Formats: sequence, structure tokens, C-alpha cells
Amino acid sequence: MRQTYGKLLPGMRLSDLSGKLIVIEGTDGAGRTTQINLLKPWLEELGHAVLDTGMTRSRLAGEGIRRAKEGNNLGHLTQSLFYATDFIDRLENEIVPALRAGFIVLTDRYIYSLMARAIVRGMDPTWIRSIYSVALVPDAVFYLRIGIDQLLPRVVFSRGFDYWESGMDLYPGHDMYDSFCKYQGALLSEFDQLGEEYKFETADASADADAVCVHLKKRILGILEPNPKETVVSNSCSDLIETFAQRVLESLIPQPNRAEVHAENGLEIASHQHNSAALRRTGWVAR
Amino acid sequence: MEITSSIHVGPFEIFYPLKPSVSSIQRYGTHNYPGRLFVVEGIDGSGKSTQLSLLHKWLESKGYGVVFSEWNSSPLVKDTTKLGKKKKLLTPATFSLIHSTDFADRTERSILPLLKAGAVVLCDRYIYTAFARDVARGMDREWVRDLYGFAVKPAVAFYFRVPLETAIGRLVGARDGFKFYEAGLDLGLTDDPEDSFRMFQGLIIEEYEQMIPEFGLTTIDATLPVEAQQARVRQIVQAHLENAKDLRIRP
Repeated sequence: MRQTYGKLLPGMRLSDLSGKLIVIEGTDGAGRTTQINLLKPWLEELGHAVLDTGMTRSRLAGEGIRRAKEGNNLGHLTQSLFYATDFIDRLENEIVPALRAGFIVLTDRYIYSLMARAIVRGMDPTWIRSIYSVALVPDAVFYLRIGIDQLLPRVVFSRGFDYWESGMDLYPGHDMYDSFCKYQGALLSEFDQLGEEYKFETADASADADAVCVHLKKRILGILEPNPKETVVSNSCSDLIETFAQRVLESLIPQPNRAEVHAENGLEIASHQHNSAALRRTGWVAR
Repeated sequence: MEITSSIHVGPFEIFYPLKPSVSSIQRYGTHNYPGRLFVVEGIDGSGKSTQLSLLHKWLESKGYGVVFSEWNSSPLVKDTTKLGKKKKLLTPATFSLIHSTDFADRTERSILPLLKAGAVVLCDRYIYTAFARDVARGMDREWVRDLYGFAVKPAVAFYFRVPLETAIGRLVGARDGFKFYEAGLDLGLTDDPEDSFRMFQGLIIEEYEQMIPEFGLTTIDATLPVEAQQARVRQIVQAHLENAKDLRIRP
């Protein structure tokens, strides 16, 4: 059964959370969003329902945080708790219902980024861990690790330095570059510590996005299908295969009413590289 | 880590003891700031706001620099709380967190700097309100106490103790109906707002009663005449100001 990091929120049942919770972590500019944008359609083509979520996207607190960050008076403590509010709103209203419905939840950052940011801002590590003790333990945490040297050109030649990403609230009086290096350096070292504690799977994010993605896909397939060597089609994967088989068969069997739609689906499936690979892997092409 | 030791941010170095094992009585930081913090607690209709307002006027008349801070009033956060309440988006957990965010903002931007500057700070409701309400909503008692671990320990926390029916008698007629969260309608105890309010406040009183010994709350009998309560409050506050550095802005 799924677990939390120690405490349970009122009304939260941990049974029947059959979906998978997959976390993509990393500092600003590590390529998390790019990976999620590659992984989501891939998983959907494999037949999985996917929810993607990320920081400040909650209905409750997202807008409030954005407005608070526009001013010059958001303190470190307030910031840490505002983000916690945003996270818990998404945990209760998005992540848990999606897991219950069997979705794969891809989350762009999780409690680890929130903890790292708070700790770097001087919050007590025990205190921040206590707050997030109500979070669910994910099925995997992929940490996209990138050094500041590789990160800098990405930032400089894309969107430029940002006030918050540079930690300017921490180092007033520095210029953005100095502040960025100090802040991201502090975050990296915090992530390295969290990584050991929370068993991150580290991926070298300095490689190009496609190479990183191939690595992530392999690892995610391992999560969806834990023992590929023992059986060609494992139990946990059988639902996926069944859904898939249904789609393929439906597309092949003539159905007058919906023939066109299904024919289109069939073409789409057949033409897509990832899917044909998946079919080969599971033996469907051979049949 | 090098960076945290060099910047000295965060209130924890000031008043959060870094020992999670200590009991909650010791967890909230005592401080040696020149200012003094007095807070009032009690259920709706206990008369605490009236008492605090009278105390405020008295302190001002004596020349103290007095600042008042109300529960749920941070300009950065209150719009979010309002949205959550209006659209009924709040669960027990987010209700708890958004109120702690509001309190954090008032602590780091107002309460703490004012105490350092030597002001007398008066708070209408404090962390004990959160402990009572959040636990009544089903939050873990220890988790909520941890959440507010950054709070400054008040010089005196007054608890205005009143029987539930007396408080309700004062409220009925003085207002038009009970609001959703105020009445604890989110708990789904009953659909009737007044019944729900009664049940919810009953749970809150139970929590307050437990906190009297836990946090050393100073109990005031809120069934006494207003004047008698105020005389008692002033007497206690006076005693705490006598030992303090002179905070008066006028001689």
C-alpha cells in the first residue's frame, strides 16, 4: 500500500491509490518541463491516462503566490508556507484523485524542491520535514542533475536571469549573476543531500534532452512493468496490454458506426515508432 | 552548508529551538526583545475582542506604543483565504496551511520587528486559535503544533472562558447567520448552521481546555461583568510591563 512520510491528512485513504506517482526534480533550467512534455504524450500513446502537475498550479494558492512574488515584501517564512499550501491543495485535489483513478501522475517538482528552497532560505530542516510528512512517497524520483557551468549558458541564452531563480531575495546588493551562482550552488548542494535521504535516481541533465528522455523512458517502463525478465507480460502490465489490445483489435474489426475514427487510431498507432516498439516488446506485433 | 551559516535568515535561529524532541510547551520561543506581546483567545462571543480593545485604549492613554494585529489579516495572504472560503476550496489541511501562511507573514513583517523595536503588540487570536480549530477539523495535534513552531511566545495569553450557550446567546441577534467555515459546516456534522456551529464550538472548547495547562493560558471568567474582567486583565498586563524596559513613547 502507498505510504506517506509519516503523517496522514484527515480523510485521506491510502488504499486503492493504484496509479503511479513519478516525480521529476531538478534545479531551475535543468530541463524538467522539456522532459515532461516528451514523457506525457509517450505515456498517453502507450494507453496511460496522465496527469501533469507542478508548482503554483493550485486553484487555491497559485494566483496568490504569483501576486505575492510581484511585490517586494514576501518573506522567507511566508513564502515557504504559501508554497506548502499550494502543494497540499494539489495533493488533495489533483494528485490523490488521479492516483485513485489509476492515472500516472507526472509532477514537475515535488516536496524536495520546496524543502531545498526553504532550507537554503534558513528554515529549520526538521520543521520543513514535519510539514511535508503528510506527502505521499512517490514511485520514483528522477533528479535531473546539472552543474552551474552547464546551467549558465542555458539560462543566459534563453530567458535570462530571473529575480527569484537568482535568489535575489536572499542576496540583496549582489548582481544577478553572482546571486544566481550562489543561490543555485546552495540548492545543488541541498539537493545532493536530499537525494541520498530520499533515494533520488539521478540523471545527468547536461546531456541533450532526447538522450535524457531515452534514459527516463527506460526507467519508467521498469516502474510500470517491474519484472520484465520473468514474464513477457507481467501482471502489473497486463491492464495496459489489455487496453492496448482492445484498441488495436477495435481498430481492425470493422465497426460501421465508428469505422473512420478507429481506422484513424489504427493508423496513428501503427505509424508511431514508440508504439510499434512497445508492441514488439510485448509480442503483439508477432501475433 | 556554508551559505546558510553566512546569511542568518529565518526566524529559527532566533526563537525556534532546534530540538524536535522537546515538548510543545518549550517549543515556542521565549524572547528577550524590549517589546511585549499580549494575546486574547476564546470562542466567538466570549467577549475577547471587546476586552482587547479596552486594554488597547488604556495602554495608549498611559503613553505606550501599541500595535494591534488581527487574525487572518495579512495583505499578502488574505485574498487567497477569502477565495478559498468563498469557493469552499478549503480542506482541513489547506485551511490550516493558509492560516499559518497569514500568521507567518504577520510574524515576520510585523509582530517580530515591532517587538524588537519595543512596541506593545496586541493580537486578537493567536496560534491557540489555530490549534483549537485545526484539531477540531481532524488535523494531527502534533503536526499543527510543529507548523507554528516559529511563533513568538506571548508574555500573556488570555483565555476568555465562557459556557457555549452564553456565547451563542450573545451572538444570536447580533449577526445574520453563521458563515460556512465559521460554523464548521465543512465537517459535515449537520446541515443546520446553528447546530453545526454549536457542535464545532463545543469541540473547540475541548481543545482550549486542554491547552490551558499545556501552554499556561491565563483564564479569565468571561461571564463576569465587562468592567471586572478588564480590571483583572489590566492588573496582569501591568505586572508584565513593570519589569520591562520603558516602552512609553510619551513620558
